[in-house]
Amino acid sequence: MNLGTSAEQQELRDAVRRFLADRAPLPRVRELMDTESGQDPEVWRQASEQLGLPGIAIPEEHGGAGFTFAEQAIVLEEAGAALYGGPYLASAVLAATALTASEDKAAMADLLPGLAAGTTIGTLAFTEDDGSWDPGTGQLAAVRSGTGRSGTGRAGTGRAGDGGWQLDGHKSFVLDGHTADLILVTARTAAGLSLFAVDAAAAGLTRTALPTLDQTRKLARLEFGAVPARLVGTDGGAAPAVAHTLDVAAIALAAEQLGGAQRALDMAVEYAKTRHQFGRAIGSFQAIKHRCADLLLEVESLRSAVGFAAAAVADGSPEVPAVASLIKAYASDTFFHVAGENIQIHGGIGFTWEHDAHLYFKRAAASQLFLGDAACHRERLATRIGL
Amino acid sequence: MDLDLGPEIAQYRAELRDWISAEAPDGLAELTDWNLTAIPGGYRDQSLGAALAHPAYAEWERKLAAERLICPQWPAAYGGQDLDGVRVAVLNEEFHRAGLPRVVRGMGESLVGPSIIVHGTDAQREHFLPRIISGEDTYCQGFSEPGNGSDLAGVQTRGEVDGDEIVVTGQKVWTSGAHRANMMFVLCRTDPSVPKHAGLSYVLIPFTGPGVQFRPIRQMSGAAEFAEDFLDGVRAPLFNVIGGLNNGWRVAMTTLGHERGGRATTAYLRYEREFWDLAETARKHGKVSDPLVRQDLARAWTGVQLMRFTGLRELAQVAEGRPPGPEASVSKLFWSEYHKRLGEIALGITGADGLIRPDGPGYPVTEWQNVFLSSRAGTIYSGTSEIQRTIIGERALGLPKEPKAPGQDKAQSGARP
Repeated sequence: MNLGTSAEQQELRDAVRRFLADRAPLPRVRELMDTESGQDPEVWRQASEQLGLPGIAIPEEHGGAGFTFAEQAIVLEEAGAALYGGPYLASAVLAATALTASEDKAAMADLLPGLAAGTTIGTLAFTEDDGSWDPGTGQLAAVRSGTGRSGTGRAGTGRAGDGGWQLDGHKSFVLDGHTADLILVTARTAAGLSLFAVDAAAAGLTRTALPTLDQTRKLARLEFGAVPARLVGTDGGAAPAVAHTLDVAAIALAAEQLGGAQRALDMAVEYAKTRHQFGRAIGSFQAIKHRCADLLLEVESLRSAVGFAAAAVADGSPEVPAVASLIKAYASDTFFHVAGENIQIHGGIGFTWEHDAHLYFKRAAASQLFLGDAACHRERLATRIGL
Repeated sequence: MDLDLGPEIAQYRAELRDWISAEAPDGLAELTDWNLTAIPGGYRDQSLGAALAHPAYAEWERKLAAERLICPQWPAAYGGQDLDGVRVAVLNEEFHRAGLPRVVRGMGESLVGPSIIVHGTDAQREHFLPRIISGEDTYCQGFSEPGNGSDLAGVQTRGEVDGDEIVVTGQKVWTSGAHRANMMFVLCRTDPSVPKHAGLSYVLIPFTGPGVQFRPIRQMSGAAEFAEDFLDGVRAPLFNVIGGLNNGWRVAMTTLGHERGGRATTAYLRYEREFWDLAETARKHGKVSDPLVRQDLARAWTGVQLMRFTGLRELAQVAEGRPPGPEASVSKLFWSEYHKRLGEIALGITGADGLIRPDGPGYPVTEWQNVFLSSRAGTIYSGTSEIQRTIIGERALGLPKEPKAPGQDKAQSGARP
C-alpha cells in the first residue's frame, strides 16, 4: 500500500483546485443551484477536455487516463470543498464503477469511452420511493422483451440483435438522474438482481427533478413504462458488482465530505481569528479554540481514513467493504459536525442566506443521508467485521 | 498490510525478519502477550512481571544490546545506530509480527535521552546515554507539583548551587515508575528573580539515597501507578544539569525530529487486541445482537482504525521527509478520549455484572472495571485534554493566545493555594 503523495498528485490537486476556483466559484454555485438542471455544461466540457477528470480512473483501453482511485479521491475532495454541483460523483464514480465492476467486456467497450471523455453523463439508479439504500429491496422489474427491440440512442445502450429487455417500475433519489444521458438501473429479474443500461432518451422513461434540501446536488425520480434496456453483466448476477460500486461510492462521497469539512473548518478558523468581541479575537476564547481543536482532530482523522480507503480501493484490498462503511459513517458525522459548528462560530451572519455556511451545512446533511446514514453504516460495519 | 516504503526499507525489513527468526530465544513469544502489556491501566501486569523475570527475556535483552537494538535511534557514538524513524517503525512492526518484546528504556529512552542528545555536552552524552541503554539508570519524571500541574512553568521546587553541586528541595507528584527508578529528571527553579519560564533548570538527580522519599498515590481504580515525592536537599553534581542553568524549560520541551515514525504504525495494535476482547465479552453477555451495543462497538472499532490510518499516514509522511502535520499533536487527545469512551462502553456491555467486583482484600476489579476506572486518568496526565486542545488550537490552527492574566509572568504565581 502506498500512502505517499507524489508530485503528480500534488499537481493534480492544485490544477483541480485552481480550475474550480476559477470556473465554479461559490457565486456560480449559487446561480446554478437555482436552476433545475444544476449543471454548467461548459465547465463539464472543460473539466473533461482540459483536465480529463471524468476518465481519470478509467482504464486506458476504455479511453480513460488509467490512474487509480487514489487520484480520483483527490478530485473528489476538491469537488467537495468547492461544492461542485457537476455530475462527477454520478458519472465518473457511480456509473463508471458499476460498468467496470460488471466485468461485461462489451458494455465496458461500448459505454466507458463516452463516460471517460465526458461526452456521456452517466448515473446509477438503485433507490426507490421507500428510501432504502439496499438495492436488493428494489421492486423495479425487468423482463425480456422478446422482440429484440432495444434502445439505440446517443449512449449506444443497445445493439441490434442483442436480445432486449424492458423495465417497469420506478427509481427515486437518483443523483443527476434528470440530466444524465446514460442511466444504469438495478432491477429484479426472475434470476435475481440485475443491472441494465438505459438511454435517457428511451421511450417510456419519465424523469422528474426533485426539489432538494441541498440545492447544489440534484436528485430525480424516474418512471419506467416498458422502457427498453440492455442487460449489463449476467442476468441475476449483479449483486456483487452493485455492492462493490456502492462501497466505492461511499468512499468517494467520504472524500467529498473531507473536502467540504476542511473548507468549513477553514472558514470557521478564519472567522475566529478576525472577529473581535470583548476586545479580543473570538478564537482566543477557549470556548471557540477548543471547539476548533476538536474539529481539527476529526477532520485530520478523516483525512487519514480517506487516504487509506482510497489506497485500499486502488489496491483492490479485501478491506474495502468494512472500510467503506467505517468511512461513510465517520465522514458523515464529521462533515455535519464541522458544518454545524461553522454556523455557530459565525454567530448571526452564520444563519443567513447570504453567508455560504448554510450551503456547506446543507451539503453535509444531504451527504449524511445519501447512500445511507451513519447509523446504518455502523450497523453494516459491525456485520462486516464479523460481529 | 505494510506500507510500500521503497526497496531499501523492504530489504531492511527482510533482513530484520531473518535476524529475528534466527535469534529469538525459544519460548519467549509464548511467555505473555507482549503486545498487550503497554495499555495504560492494562490488565495483564501479573503475567508481564513473570515474563520479564524469565531467563529468555534476559537472553533476548543481551542479544538486542549486542546488536545495538536497544535505543537504536540514538547516535552510534553513544550506543545506538542512528536508526531513522521509518526503520524504527519497521522494527516495531516486525517485533510485533513475531510476538516478541522490544526492550525499551521507558522515560530514559523517550524523554531524558533526547534532551541530552540535543542539549547535553559530549561529556554528558558519553556518561548518561550508555547507562540508559544498559538499564543501569532508570528514570522517573519530576515535573508536576501539587500547585503546578497544567501550568508547569510555575514549578516551585528549588535548585540551589552549592560549590560544584546543585541541591534540590521540593515536592513532586504524579510520578510513575518511582519504585523502579534510581534517577529522576527534575525541573526546578534555580533563579526566582526572573519571569517563570526563564528561571528553571533540568537536572538529573539520584532517586535513591538521602533526601528522597516517595509514597504511592492510590487511584480510584485501586491501583497505585503514581507516587508523590519529597525531595529534601538532594545533591547532584552540577554536571547533571542538562542544557545549562536556567535553560530548563527549553530542555524539558525537547522532542527529537528524527524520532517521528517510531511507534506510529504499531501503537494502535494494543487497542485492536483490546477491542476483540471486548467483542468476545459482548458475545458472552449475549449483547452482540443488541443494536445499540453494535453501534457502540462499531464506533469503538472506528476509533481503533482511525489510529491505525493516522499512524500509516504519519509514517508515509516521515518516509517522504515531509514536515510533521497536525496529526502528531492530536494523537494524545485522540487515544485518551477514545479509551475513556471505551471504558464506558465496556462497563455497559458487562451490564449487571459490572456492579460486582471480584472478592479479595483491597479493591480488586475486573479487567473492564479497570479500563473504565483507570482510563479517567488518561485525559489528565501528560497534559490534560484541555491543554492539548489549546496547543492544537494555537499551534496547528494558529488561533490567538488568550490574554495573560495580570502578574501571570511572575515566578511566584504558581504558589497560589
